[in-house]
Order: sequence, then C-alpha cells, then structure tokens
Amino acid sequence: MGMVFFKRLKGLVLPLALLMTWEMASRQGRAYALTFIPIEKIGRSLIEITLNGELLTNLLASLGTASTGLLIGGTVGLGLGSLMGLYPRVDKIIGPVFHSFRQVPLLGWIPLIGLWFGNGCLAKTLVVCLASFYPMVLNSYAGIRNIENNHLEVCRVLGASRWQTYRYILIPGSLPFIFIGIYHALAFSWISTVGSELLFTAGPGLGGMMQTAQMAAKMDIVIICVASIGIVGLLMNVSLAKLSGHLLRWRSTR
Amino acid sequence: MGNLIHPDFKRSAKSLSGELSIQSLHKQYRLERNYLNVLENINLTILPGEFVSIVGPSGCGKSTILRLVVGLDSDFQGRILLDGKPITSTSTDRGIVFQDHRLFPWMTVWENIAFALVNSDLSSAEKRDIVALNIERVNLTGFANAYPHQLSGGMAQRAAIARALVNEPKILLLDEPLGALDALTRLYLQAELQRIWIEHRSTMIMVTHDVEEALFLGDRVVVMQANPGRIKRVVPVPLDHPRDRSSPLFHRLKDEILADLIDTDSTAEAKRAKSLALRSDLG
Repeated sequence: MGMVFFKRLKGLVLPLALLMTWEMASRQGRAYALTFIPIEKIGRSLIEITLNGELLTNLLASLGTASTGLLIGGTVGLGLGSLMGLYPRVDKIIGPVFHSFRQVPLLGWIPLIGLWFGNGCLAKTLVVCLASFYPMVLNSYAGIRNIENNHLEVCRVLGASRWQTYRYILIPGSLPFIFIGIYHALAFSWISTVGSELLFTAGPGLGGMMQTAQMAAKMDIVIICVASIGIVGLLMNVSLAKLSGHLLRWRSTR
Repeated sequence: MGNLIHPDFKRSAKSLSGELSIQSLHKQYRLERNYLNVLENINLTILPGEFVSIVGPSGCGKSTILRLVVGLDSDFQGRILLDGKPITSTSTDRGIVFQDHRLFPWMTVWENIAFALVNSDLSSAEKRDIVALNIERVNLTGFANAYPHQLSGGMAQRAAIARALVNEPKILLLDEPLGALDALTRLYLQAELQRIWIEHRSTMIMVTHDVEEALFLGDRVVVMQANPGRIKRVVPVPLDHPRDRSSPLFHRLKDEILADLIDTDSTAEAKRAKSLALRSDLG
C-alpha cells in the first residue's frame, strides 16, 4: 500500500510541471495569452459555470448518455458473446455477420445513424451502444471459450446441472475476460459519448458545450471541458480497477 | 485373462459395497479411417475395500479405464458393474482425483470442497461439518480460505482428494494423483493416502507410473501392456500394511514388475520397428 501512495506522488510530478509551463507561457505577452489562457482566468470561469449549473447539467447529460449506452450495449454484447461461446450453432449463424459489421469503424456508422435517428439523444445513445457492444461480445466469447475442459469434466463427475455449471464455473471462470471487455467498453463508451456529442449537437452534453465555446472563442471553457472529460474518464477507470481487483482476487498475478 | 482375486485378501469385513466388476471390456478410438484398439478384453474384479494399483507403459489405456469407470466416457463394449449395477454415466458414488488437481481457481479450498456437495440433500449445517471434517482428514486445517494459487502442489492435491472424498464414494479412482509432485512430497502423500484408505475403507483404484508406489499401496498390482491395451499380469502383494519398502519380498516383486514393464516396452518397440520396416518395404 505504501508503494502505491509513493507511485501516486510520482504521478503528480508531470501534471504540476505542465501546469507551471502553461502558466509561464501565458505570461509571455498578449499573443501567448490568447492560446495559453492564464490559469487564474480558467479558475474564475470554472467557478462561474459551476455555480450557474452549466457544467453540472452538461456533465450529467454526458454521463447519462454514456451509462445508458454502456448498460444497453454492454448487456446485449455480454449476452450475445456468451451465446456465441456456448453454442457453436449460434456462432456459425451470427459470427460472420458480426465480424463483418465490426470491420466498419464507428465513425462510419455516423451518417447512417444521423439519417435514420436524427441528431438527438437517441442517435448519441445508439453510437455509444455500438461502441460498448463490440468489446463485450468479443471478450465474453473469449471468456467462455477459455474455460478449461478439465474443469467441465469435474462438473460432470460431481453431477452439477447445466445451470450449476453456468453459475459456478462458466460465469466466474470467464470473469477475467468479461472485465477486460468492461474496461474497453467503458473507455469506448466515454470516448464515443463525447465524439457523438461533437457530431450530433442537439441537446446538452460536454461535447456540445465544448463546440459552442469553441465557436465563441471561449478558450477557457474548452479547456475546462477537456479537463473534465479526462478526469471523469480517469475516475471511471480507477473505480473499475478497484472492483475487478476485488472480484478477481483469486488470481495469482495482477 | 481370468478374474483373479487375491486369495489372502482380508479387508472386506466392514464395507460390503464398492465391488467393481469389469467384464470383457473393449474400447476403440477412431483415427480417420483406422480403429485403434485402446483396450482389449479387460477382465478385472475388485473387491469392496480393496486397493488396486494399475501400472503400465504410456498408451496402455490405464487412465482410459478410470475414465470409463467414473463415467466420463460411455463409448465402450463390455460391462462395467459397480455392486452389480452397470455404469452408464457419472455419479457421486464414484470419485476421482486427477494428476492435475483441477481445483477451480476462483474458489477457496473450502468452496472447492463444498462444491462437490452441490446436489446433496444435506442441510447447510451438515454440509459445513462434512467439509470441515474432510479438510481435517487431508491435513489442510487452517487453509480453508486459501485460493488454489496460494497452495503448494502437494496441498492442492490434498484438497482435490478431500473434494473427491466428501461424497463418501463407494469407489475412489486415482489417476496418477502424485505424478506431478516432487519425490519427497510424493512419499509423504503415499503414507497419507494409505492412512485415508484405512480410515475411509472404500475401494480404491490408482493408476501410476511408479512401481514402488503401486506396491506400497496396492493389495494387487495390475500390470498392463500397450498396443492394444490389455492386462499382462495381476500381481498379488501378500504383505501387511503399512509396508516395509526394504523387505525382500517387496524388492523381489518390484524387480519382477519392472522386468515385465521393460519386457512389454521392448516388445512394443520391436513391433513398432517391424511395422515401420514393413511400411518402408511397401513404399
């Protein structure tokens, strides 16, 4: 534990150095101050948009889109991936279609989604669904496939039913892979939330807020948005790492 | 090969169940268009409470016999009867310990052992007592909450033995259970297995590569040979337990069985060389 604390301290060195460089750059004259907004000015804007609720509204909207998409896309992905892993027939029927769809990059779907579902909340959620769907399918499939036949034999010897095998062997046994899937899905869902908000600008969201600020040349707001996106992403990752560390405590490494 | 029963066998007093009878057992594998005879005409009767060791060169089908008896493979000809009833699939009246411990890494020692009782009708309090008893039986007290990766190989194998014993099987099958352990741990666990066998008094069949181990534990030693897998000889071991590894009879039996194994090995080798020569003649 002491080591972790020490590592955290080390991790603070670089951000502090960057902040200092930024501040120094902003004091190099007017031209510089347009790009490198003084930290003090950013701070004042931060207080302002926090107090009038603008930041919170947009942040919550983005989090809402991300979590809805993650929940729906992730759950459907987990279900489909598990079915494909469990039943070769399902894999044969759905596998080829899934793998060809997967070749289309997420951005490639945007025009189609825009045409079909408009540029509002539904379209954004759909993009996020897709983003978290793919990694969950791939990793839950791999999780089921990596269950050792030896372990399934033990289940047969002990007379475990299909459901018991699922509950006690397949689910916990594929959990390491499922967690990799959740890691990826979480990261992709957050990235795609912001991305879709930049492209589908209707409704609240950090992406939209950022774009509006950019057009009004409010550099300070843009920077606050970027920082919030980064910090929220980091917090999500850290809490997931805590959770997986607890649930996968039976593993010898990591 | 007739049904050989060790004449001075005297341990059947307590347990009357657990008699295994294997009758004209054949087993083939299909390799593309050829059939490979894995087991040919195996006949063997094992008395209730008897400990039988099976030794043989690799590929003689000795582990296959255990897989058939435990019910993991039902594709065979002939009959396998446990207390007169034919074996059709797996059942908790037959337990098995594999060479690799096969504990579930996501379960603690306790959970692994308790999982064997997943379909038992016992109350949870009774289950708790039985699991605790079996952990004690294999000397793992204090490690109930450890995960398999925290255990040494010998400890993991002991947990696997406890998992197999927890249902009080009529017959316990041991598929090279000590094969992956270091020599010292192996000696120690041989003594442990013997103690468990004497306390538990169930029928046990152990497949092993180690002739000394087979003699130390077995009331009889079944010597098998390969291509096709069949019983070459059944050697009774008329020595009292626990056995003295340095006794003259022990040594004589060991030498005999080793000679048998080396002999079958060399004939198999000769056969293989012959068939190769034949093939190159044809080619």
